[in-house]
Amino acid sequence: MSTTLPRLVPPAAADSAETAALRKEVRAFITEQLIAGAFTPSVDGWLSGWDEKFTAALANRGWLGMTAPPQYGGHGRSHLERFAVTEELLAAGAPVAAHWIADRQIVPSLLKYGTEEQKSEFLPRIVAGECFFGIGMSEPDSGSDLASVRTRAERVDGGWSLTGTKVWTSGAHHAHAFIVLARTAPIDPANRHAGLSQFIVDLHTPGVGIRPIVSMNGSHHFNEVILEDAFVPDRMVFGEVGEGWRQVTSELAFERSGPERFLSTFALLAAATDAMAARRIPRDDGLGRLVARIAALHQMSTAVVGALERHDPADVPAAVVKVLGTTTEGDIADFADVLVGDDGDTDASLEALVAAAVDQRPGFTLRGGTNEVMRGVIARGLGMR
Amino acid sequence: MMLTGQVDAALIDMMDAVLADYRNTHPPAAQAERDADLWATLDGLGLVRLTGAEDHGGSGAGWHEAAELLSATVRHSVRIPLAEHDLLACGMLDAVGRPVTDGAVRTLCVLDDRDSAASVPWISGADRVVMVWRDGGCYRLADVEAEQLDTAPGRNLIGEPRHSVTAGPAVRVGWDGVGVPLEAVEQLRLKAALVRAIQVCAALDKILELSIDHATSRIQFGRPLSKFQALQNLIADIASEAALARAATEAALSTAVSTRWDEPTLDFRVAVARSCAGHAASVVVRNAHQIHGAIGTTREHRLHEFTRAALAWRSEFGSLRYWDQRITDASVAAGSAGLWSMITG
Repeated sequence: MSTTLPRLVPPAAADSAETAALRKEVRAFITEQLIAGAFTPSVDGWLSGWDEKFTAALANRGWLGMTAPPQYGGHGRSHLERFAVTEELLAAGAPVAAHWIADRQIVPSLLKYGTEEQKSEFLPRIVAGECFFGIGMSEPDSGSDLASVRTRAERVDGGWSLTGTKVWTSGAHHAHAFIVLARTAPIDPANRHAGLSQFIVDLHTPGVGIRPIVSMNGSHHFNEVILEDAFVPDRMVFGEVGEGWRQVTSELAFERSGPERFLSTFALLAAATDAMAARRIPRDDGLGRLVARIAALHQMSTAVVGALERHDPADVPAAVVKVLGTTTEGDIADFADVLVGDDGDTDASLEALVAAAVDQRPGFTLRGGTNEVMRGVIARGLGMR
Repeated sequence: MMLTGQVDAALIDMMDAVLADYRNTHPPAAQAERDADLWATLDGLGLVRLTGAEDHGGSGAGWHEAAELLSATVRHSVRIPLAEHDLLACGMLDAVGRPVTDGAVRTLCVLDDRDSAASVPWISGADRVVMVWRDGGCYRLADVEAEQLDTAPGRNLIGEPRHSVTAGPAVRVGWDGVGVPLEAVEQLRLKAALVRAIQVCAALDKILELSIDHATSRIQFGRPLSKFQALQNLIADIASEAALARAATEAALSTAVSTRWDEPTLDFRVAVARSCAGHAASVVVRNAHQIHGAIGTTREHRLHEFTRAALAWRSEFGSLRYWDQRITDASVAAGSAGLWSMITG
């Protein structure tokens, strides 16, 4: 386009025909699983739906670690193909939490920064659905301001000794390892982003304590992970010492622009559609607005995957997807909540979805970088910061 | 507007140059009229029948080029019925095998079941009107002199002519009508709706640009407005909503072009574009006025050329509520089993 401003979000070049056959396969698989009673569509299944059997079934179909090359047991498929599979699973409200972090975050990070040994050790197990990961970035005093992390890594014989506290590590109580951002040099006020490094930490190693952080509705996904002189051997240093900030931020577009940023409540939207068709909730044209936004977000998110596939910078468009998508997820929760009350004729399953959605909603616009931080990223992209 | 690389940059530069030049000496009037001199200039450049076949005096371009032209007219606030003439009226005559080369300016009018039509665009600037009406189970079309029609004047929010038209059977019997396939009329409705979505998107982009310009140049409390987070947030939301409207509109346009408007999902795609563009206009207009302060509400400031235009166009060829209803209907019909596949196409 020819205004003076550059395009904020790239055009969607991907032809949906490229992935149509793959989507059909995934839909058939989901139908089979639903008929077999393997899962009930849920809200936020990528955070709260921990189901190792379902993960194993996906691994069986070749839908984990799809972008990893065959030499590591992977399938050498494109980001666009992985996107199609994950979109289908999330739209169905499938329980994908067990492998989510490993598949989304760890696979591309390992491929980019991992040593040969790390790739050989972890990738085949992730692809097989046998190795689950968590993330150790946030700390009690470091939420949005990630550069302020205080977890220390000190040089010891043969490796590093880590001490500090990580929070919001989803699935740490089930996972095998987590990837920790820690200070390997004291903070330099002139360059706050220097002196950070990443480590792969075995969650069962001595010095690692895991405490549940129970959510307000009583569910347990998040944990506090306490590191007390936890030993990490040199071979589990991830990427380069001192390059932690660059490594962490270079991969953010993958996690911010994906379908989990607009489909977390799609199962509820679909259920509300059925309830409206059956006249169990009142007709409301707000439904059309929300469906339209999801459809446009599908286009926009596809466009960002295309940019990532081309190795184009995508942090700004990813922030746009995240702001719009997570807001829409929350709008869906509220839309359904407004229509469902004690004067209606709704069934327990719809009410359960609504309850889960309104409870999960505050997290949508917080996790992965708050929407306030995202708006700052967008403003910077527009040359205002 | 649209897909990078789809349209020759030199063509877009030429459109921008001629329209910017015109705009410099012709600020938009409160009551828009078609400027015959500008029309002749654009005709000389091959832009008036941009999508007509070359052997019928057209330029042989497609909808992507037409979308760029429309967007350029919006950027420069040039009110002119290029879409009504080329894409809708002449496009419809092409579709029924009656291409015209007479140089007459045309618009298009679809009569409702009560033999009338409201808000018909640009009749006052047209020589002829392509009239479409229902005749039993099918439709008919006639290319009628504008002066012959029984019309009542009207204008939209930005002063573009929007007449109402009445033409009962007694009048139509004198017209040389031809049958029109039902699909052609359905396509026409989608084309008209998409035209307005394209225009809204172009207006929203221009509003974003004006808002950034204002926020970076206006100093308050000793610093530019753009340094205040509260203002940054307003602009980030303008940019995001405009981008979403564009994503939806481009998806509809590229589906339309690649399938020659013959695709069952197109109805949904166009409705999505209209819904997203329409709701985006709410946020964008509100935030842009908030950013501009009182000066943005004046005739003198250019902001209204785009904010009022976006609001006017989002309500034409179907209100925002109408398009939300269409999507609600389609969603309820699809049910949970078909909702997602409707979205992915």
